[in-house]
Amino acid sequence: MLVALKIKRFDPERKPAAWWSNYKLEAAPGDRVLDLLVRAKDELDGSLTFRRSCAHGICGSDAMRINGTNRLACKTLVRELGSRITVEPLLGMRVEKDLVVDMEPFLASYRSVKPYLINDEPLPADGRERRQSPAERLRFDDTTKCILCGCCTAACPVFWADGEYVGPAAIVQAHRFLFDSRDRGAGEHTAALLDMKGVWRCRTIFQCTLSCPREIKITQAIAEVKQAIVLGK
Amino acid sequence: MQSLINFTYASTHYRPREGMIAFLLHRISGLATLLFLSIHIVDTSLVYFYPQYYNDFIGLYRLPGFMLAEIALMAGVIYHGLNGFRIALFDLVLPSAWTIQRERLSVRLTILLAAILWLPAGIIMGGNFIGYTFLGWH
Ligand code: FES
Repeated sequence: MLVALKIKRFDPERKPAAWWSNYKLEAAPGDRVLDLLVRAKDELDGSLTFRRSCAHGICGSDAMRINGTNRLACKTLVRELGSRITVEPLLGMRVEKDLVVDMEPFLASYRSVKPYLINDEPLPADGRERRQSPAERLRFDDTTKCILCGCCTAACPVFWADGEYVGPAAIVQAHRFLFDSRDRGAGEHTAALLDMKGVWRCRTIFQCTLSCPREIKITQAIAEVKQAIVLGK
Repeated sequence: MQSLINFTYASTHYRPREGMIAFLLHRISGLATLLFLSIHIVDTSLVYFYPQYYNDFIGLYRLPGFMLAEIALMAGVIYHGLNGFRIALFDLVLPSAWTIQRERLSVRLTILLAAILWLPAGIIMGGNFIGYTFLGWH
């Protein structure tokens, strides 16, 4: 099938800095949007810029807005979209070039929840691992799936209005450690979530959950973090 | 102001779904209610400060634009209350209800229920509107 691919371009050194590129490409329904981008760059315009690494939906590099919703280009098939495909960069983040946005503020929010296991207690008597039952592991299984692609945070209207809001991705990371039975750092994970820029800023608009390419139940995780804070987890 | 500009740009460049619509209706109805309450505080305080103007001010509520806005406000207040209840219930009591299917269904039901509850008031207020505006009631 013939696909009309429309891409929002941006180059700070060019005038005008923003424009649209339109390409016509022959594609199979099973092709991924990433395949089309790679072909457009290889065959039609070498200056087209986007990020990708694994090409298999696990590194989180190629989050972008495809036909108006955030997705991973490597996990979106032409078949799902039809013959007109529009690709734009994520919203709410500064565009550096074409589809590449500045992820640094996003990653700073991620770091603010101390996304690592905090436990200063001595190791178990055998000096080996801290054990956990399958049920305890299951408690935070959903939020371990996050690949930090940014689809959720860049789909959040609260984040669009105020880039200082920590955003759903950071709260998902806090959830992952907060509900880990081995973790003792609840207060440290949630410290950054208590103020105006934190978890209470969530308005349950649900855009995060709908845009997550890993199908994490993000709004639910955020609600559980809110509960944990109120009930003193 | 910048945040309003950013929000307006982004929300018109992203495909809206149920949750976004529920949120926008909630915001707009909340602001409309706040505006009405502010006006209401002003008119009631006239009784104390300038009683001679009170009746004139109340007369404003009989202007066609005002009456129509009040009918819409009624819908807004009902929706705002119900939607707030939905969010509080899901967020504080039942986080596991935040699934895609339940969220979609709950937004639709909330809007439907608000419309049903609004209908009687809408009919009575609509009748008043027609009476005062076109049939010369006073
Ligand atoms: S390229 Fe790694 S997630 Fe798409």
